[in-house]
Amino acid sequence: MSRLVSSLLWLGVALLGAGALGAIALGRGEPVNGVFFVVGAGCTYLVAYRFYSAFLAAKVLSLDATRATPAERLDDGRDFVPTNRWVVLGHHFAAIAGPGPLVGPTLAAQFGYLPGTLWLVAGAVLGGCVQDFVILFFSLRRDGRSLGQIARDEVGRRAGLLTMVSVLAIMVILLAVIALVFVNALKDSPWGAFTIAATIPIAMLMGLYMRFWRAGRVMEVSAIGFALILAAVVAGQWVSRSPEWAPVFTLTGTALAAAVIVYGFAASALPVWLLLAPRDYLSAFIKVGVVLALGAGIVLVRPTIQMPALTRFVDGTGPVFAGTVFPFCFITIACGAISGFHALISSGTTPKLLTRESDARLVGYGSMLMESFVGVMAMVAACALEPGVYFGINSPAGIVGATAEQAAATISGWGFPLDPTTMHQLAQSVGEETLLNRTGGAPSLAVGMAHIFSRSLGGERLLGIWYHFAIMFEALFILTVLDAGTRVGRFMVQELMGRAFPRMARTGTWTSTLVTSGIIVGAWGYFLYQGVLDPLGGINSLWPLFGISNQILASVALVVATTILIKMGRRRYVWVTLVPTAWLVVVTLTGSWQKMFHEDPRIGFLAQARTLEQQIGDGRVPEAKVADTRRLVFNNRLDAAVTGFFALLILALLVEAAVEWYRIAAGRKSAPLTESPYVRTKWVEGSP
Amino acid sequence: MTVRALLCVFWRHLREWSGDAAYETYVTRARGGELLGRQAFYLDSLSRRYRHPTRCC
Repeated sequence: MSRLVSSLLWLGVALLGAGALGAIALGRGEPVNGVFFVVGAGCTYLVAYRFYSAFLAAKVLSLDATRATPAERLDDGRDFVPTNRWVVLGHHFAAIAGPGPLVGPTLAAQFGYLPGTLWLVAGAVLGGCVQDFVILFFSLRRDGRSLGQIARDEVGRRAGLLTMVSVLAIMVILLAVIALVFVNALKDSPWGAFTIAATIPIAMLMGLYMRFWRAGRVMEVSAIGFALILAAVVAGQWVSRSPEWAPVFTLTGTALAAAVIVYGFAASALPVWLLLAPRDYLSAFIKVGVVLALGAGIVLVRPTIQMPALTRFVDGTGPVFAGTVFPFCFITIACGAISGFHALISSGTTPKLLTRESDARLVGYGSMLMESFVGVMAMVAACALEPGVYFGINSPAGIVGATAEQAAATISGWGFPLDPTTMHQLAQSVGEETLLNRTGGAPSLAVGMAHIFSRSLGGERLLGIWYHFAIMFEALFILTVLDAGTRVGRFMVQELMGRAFPRMARTGTWTSTLVTSGIIVGAWGYFLYQGVLDPLGGINSLWPLFGISNQILASVALVVATTILIKMGRRRYVWVTLVPTAWLVVVTLTGSWQKMFHEDPRIGFLAQARTLEQQIGDGRVPEAKVADTRRLVFNNRLDAAVTGFFALLILALLVEAAVEWYRIAAGRKSAPLTESPYVRTKWVEGSP
Repeated sequence: MTVRALLCVFWRHLREWSGDAAYETYVTRARGGELLGRQAFYLDSLSRRYRHPTRCC
């Protein structure tokens, strides 16, 4: 293709994308179609990949296609395996895409569709993709070392320790908040609870099949598992209508929380082949399949966006969670725009699979673009709902009331008309008793997805099946993250405790396994329990805490990347990592400060604790609820302390790194890199 | 490339992505030492994989 044709083509793509984003951003009063989101985001991703990632690859990182990767040099067919780049892209995408890019944008839709969509696209292109790409590249140059090891080697021992502590802390908060999303999606829902309960014996059956009968036959056992899960989704409808079985699977929030805590402990302590691995295989297939189906459904159905571009809740009075659009939109949407957790995946399995250094661009930058696209689709699905319905589902009873009539009156008063019968009919059409006050984002996303799917296939009569299929899809990979995260957390606790008590470091012993599983499950279980008891729905306090911790981990990764760029002599290009770092530090520190000290009790943890204490002191709390209220006071103070701890973590790392940068810049310290030595690849272009 | 050839490539990549072809890859690439059997390799690969973060939020 001639240079002129290529230039004209890319100009066309850029103009198309700019036009679509312009229509989204500037259109007022006219309904916007969901296709504009797909086109606007898609064209931006194409241009960013073609030009910005090429600039990063050529100028900033200088990817060297002649340099042998760890997969080539250390090829053992087990950990290090040269793999086709499209296969690695699929691996990496399946690893980074979890519930975050679906739930975060759904919650942030309370500000209107515009802030979240722009942040998803700009945040990914300039921040998230850059982080994933550079960390993958730096790990690739260091034999696939982890982020913590790279931080220790390149910045200092304290930085390595800070990174490890922040990883453990984020793990606890992450597991608590996704477990809360799970609980809120399934409480008082016999159909959903039955379907998810059925996935446990199905996964165990798959595990036994692969362990004893057909070792490692992932494809055939996943096909069997998928068929059984579809049967469970359909059977769930019968269970929900059965007078004998429906009460058995109608569980309260606290009962479900207890069940999830017991399940997490079992999944961590049981052999990995029995439950964790088979569920993970199944979840990966369903995740990729549903994401592709959702994309196709949006293009086919072309849903009209009902939510306005901006709502009144940008002022911080939102019912879904409290806080102004800055900084809370940027904290609420972490995965999908920039997520620190990705740095752990980019410095984990992926660098051990890449055949060529040049593949890091497609895998690192490209897969994050795909995750961002998932976030945009979730935003479309949420904003295609009537705003009144969206707020009815996502607002806690403490704010809108517990009955359809109270909620309809409150939400209509905000300017989003809602008829009480609409909520009744919607709940009936998806086979639920009620959809009111189902905070956490998962149910409203499932309603949005069910509408898109049912308009593509099956019509209104299959709405209930599609809704519960979507709930199953979300719950399935929440449980996968819960299983895998608890297990990794257990190993981290074993490693930390092993320094003081060497016997605890033995991962094969039952005592160590049970004690450390109990510690990690107890930690996230406590935060989950406090979220379930929270009269504001729990999401209001836990999701921002999760967002802050995740963005702080991203700041850690970017600070480490900046240090390495300086050491590589690329000072003129440090802005590629420094600009997103500066943005994240401002966002997370502002968010942390507000969550601790804001005078509005819905935003500030300490203000909430003071308000509750005052209510006890004034005798406004009934005697029977005093103990619970005191617990809420303690929980709010604990949340404030955790938030402060996260803020101190990033400040400490920034100081540590800034001193390092100054010493190198002033010539007071040599700046040796810990890269593996150059070895020329044995493969010529085009193979293997 | 024919449709059949394209489907073959897709199938091969799908098996690699899902882990279905992991044992065959191992047998082809393993260097020295005694080869693990299919079942032992499967258990070994699981215990190594789930020691590190493999799934994100």
